[in-house]
Amino acid sequence: MNGERKEFVRFTLGRRVEHLLLLLTFAVLVVTGIPQKFHNAAWAQWLIAAMGGVEFARHIHRFSAILLGLGALYHLVDGLYRLLVKRQAFTMLPRWKDVTDVADTLKYFFGLISRPPQFDHFNFRQKLEYWAVVWGLAIMGGSGFILWFPVPAARLLPGRIIPVAKVAHSGEALLALLAIVVWHLYNAHLSPMVFPIDMVMITGKLSEQRLREEHPLEYASLVEPALKESPAVESDISWIAIVLSGITSLVILSILGALLWAGLRAQVSYP
Amino acid sequence: MGHRITRLMYPCLKTGLLVVLVVILPWPAITRGAPQTQPPVPHELVGREDCLACHGTDGLEPVPADHEGRDNNTCLSCHAEPTEVSIETIADEDCLACHGNSDLNVTLPSGEVLSLYVDEEAYATSVHGRELLCAACHRDFKPGVHPAVRAHDLRDFSLAAYAACKQCHPHEYEKTLDSMHALALAGGVREAAVCTDCHGAHDVLDPHQPRQRISQSCAPCHDVVYQDYLESVHGAALYEESNPDVPVCTDCHRVHNVWGPDVPAFRTYSPRLCGHCHADQTLMAKYGLSTAVFRTYVADFHGTSVQLFENQPDTRPNEAVCFDCHGAHDIRPTDDPESSVVRENLLETCRKCHPNATANFPAAWVGHYSPSPEKASPVYYTNLFYIVLTASLIPALMGFVVLDYGRLVLDKIARRGTKK
Repeated sequence: MNGERKEFVRFTLGRRVEHLLLLLTFAVLVVTGIPQKFHNAAWAQWLIAAMGGVEFARHIHRFSAILLGLGALYHLVDGLYRLLVKRQAFTMLPRWKDVTDVADTLKYFFGLISRPPQFDHFNFRQKLEYWAVVWGLAIMGGSGFILWFPVPAARLLPGRIIPVAKVAHSGEALLALLAIVVWHLYNAHLSPMVFPIDMVMITGKLSEQRLREEHPLEYASLVEPALKESPAVESDISWIAIVLSGITSLVILSILGALLWAGLRAQVSYP
Repeated sequence: MGHRITRLMYPCLKTGLLVVLVVILPWPAITRGAPQTQPPVPHELVGREDCLACHGTDGLEPVPADHEGRDNNTCLSCHAEPTEVSIETIADEDCLACHGNSDLNVTLPSGEVLSLYVDEEAYATSVHGRELLCAACHRDFKPGVHPAVRAHDLRDFSLAAYAACKQCHPHEYEKTLDSMHALALAGGVREAAVCTDCHGAHDVLDPHQPRQRISQSCAPCHDVVYQDYLESVHGAALYEESNPDVPVCTDCHRVHNVWGPDVPAFRTYSPRLCGHCHADQTLMAKYGLSTAVFRTYVADFHGTSVQLFENQPDTRPNEAVCFDCHGAHDIRPTDDPESSVVRENLLETCRKCHPNATANFPAAWVGHYSPSPEKASPVYYTNLFYIVLTASLIPALMGFVVLDYGRLVLDKIARRGTKK
């Protein structure tokens, strides 16, 4: 192995296809769904009209939801197979260390400790993101089906479940969108560490240097089993990345903030 | 040379003498001979270019005998054009001499009998009675011209006659072209209302007073709807209490450009139609009615969808609008046991659109209430949960990201320091 160029497989092709499906369906669901939430705002009404009307937007929304649901189902079956049959480790499972990692990271941010905590295969940011998607899918899928099939839903459950589902679908939608923009967009794109894009989800591979830096515990277990903790190697980030990522973040936040502001402020126009 | 001058002078003198003798000397006589005191033409000239058709020696009103030999081109040299159209040459008495006879009628080719009787009394008390003479509307009738009835049947006659209205009421006429009635007429429904069907012909009265008359105008054709309306909360208030606040037919269906639920846009905008009064705080306060109905409707799935259809006026919204649940012409107060929206009748009302709905289903509708700890509390608390979660989690995540970014920048500066 030539140390410099060695790469570690992090995401198999299947996982990357799953991610692509999630990315595309999520985007379509946001574009067709969020304007329905902010139906009083002019931009939302314009967007719905531009898509050919609310009925068509709903068809697309439900079609994307089915695709995403199938992807989720595949992920669940595949995950259970890996865990129960192939007996692979459940590396995504939150552990107590994740809690202390959050605390240590905050301490590091404030300069209370000199080095960030060392992470294993998945760090707490990634676990938070993953479980947020699981939670979101459950809420959105469940409430979405109730809204899609209100009559059968009311046959099994109290009728009030329908307006509750509507509020939950609407609230969770905004929460998911904001979480994706703030958390995922930063961690995968806007952080100066990876700006403009973390290629790991495209290539599926992580360089040895990054693995050692970002997942030292995993690196240690893979490459230097004898070593409990590998020394952190800090890669230098460029000023260009810092400045550009900062500007891009502000632009994205401003646009989203303006739309959100207009959406939340918009009142029904009285006759 | 001299010879030549006298030869030129001779014809000049001869011409000059002729001018003096023929034109200048008799000039006073010429001008006197065409005095400007002749009577002006007492009627309009459009369509009557052939003067001698009526004023020829064998015409209805022949010219004086000394006019013999003069043609159409000379009349206006002496007789001034009329300054304004005057139809007063045909007095109503002339018409009523025959049409005041209640037995006057004509049998049309269809076999129907068209009465030609005009009730002088009714016309005199109509809005036009004091203003207009018969010939103002019946423009085909000119002095000496009395066209025959050409209609094949009664409806034919009405459909031809109402064109007279647009002469003075062009805006109203143009609006009718954009109505359900005009659409039906164009589609071959000859019974579709024209001006005279609603307003009457000779007995046109102020359509607005009394207010009950407005809906009564629609009743002859739309009787079933009219009867429903009379029993509705709106109709009863108007007819029993003369309440001016309640809507009459035209308030919802417009006046001349009449529309109805067959027009997609009518359906789409109908909640605004109801909201026009039911979101009006001053008006609703008089009756102790909630003005939240419009806002809460738009906030609900049905209303949100219909609102989003406003950008597609040609598409029929497939979601419930006010009148789908509350009824339209037969709308009742919400505390009336027969109302379609009281708890006992709600399931049946839901089933109009959701045929398989079961007993649990109507609870899906939280009424025209904003969810609160008292009303629809599960909805209220779910919403509160998401507000609290979003308002705490997202700023926390943003704070974390900002700290991360800040740390990266500080580390970068620190490294730069050590490099130096």
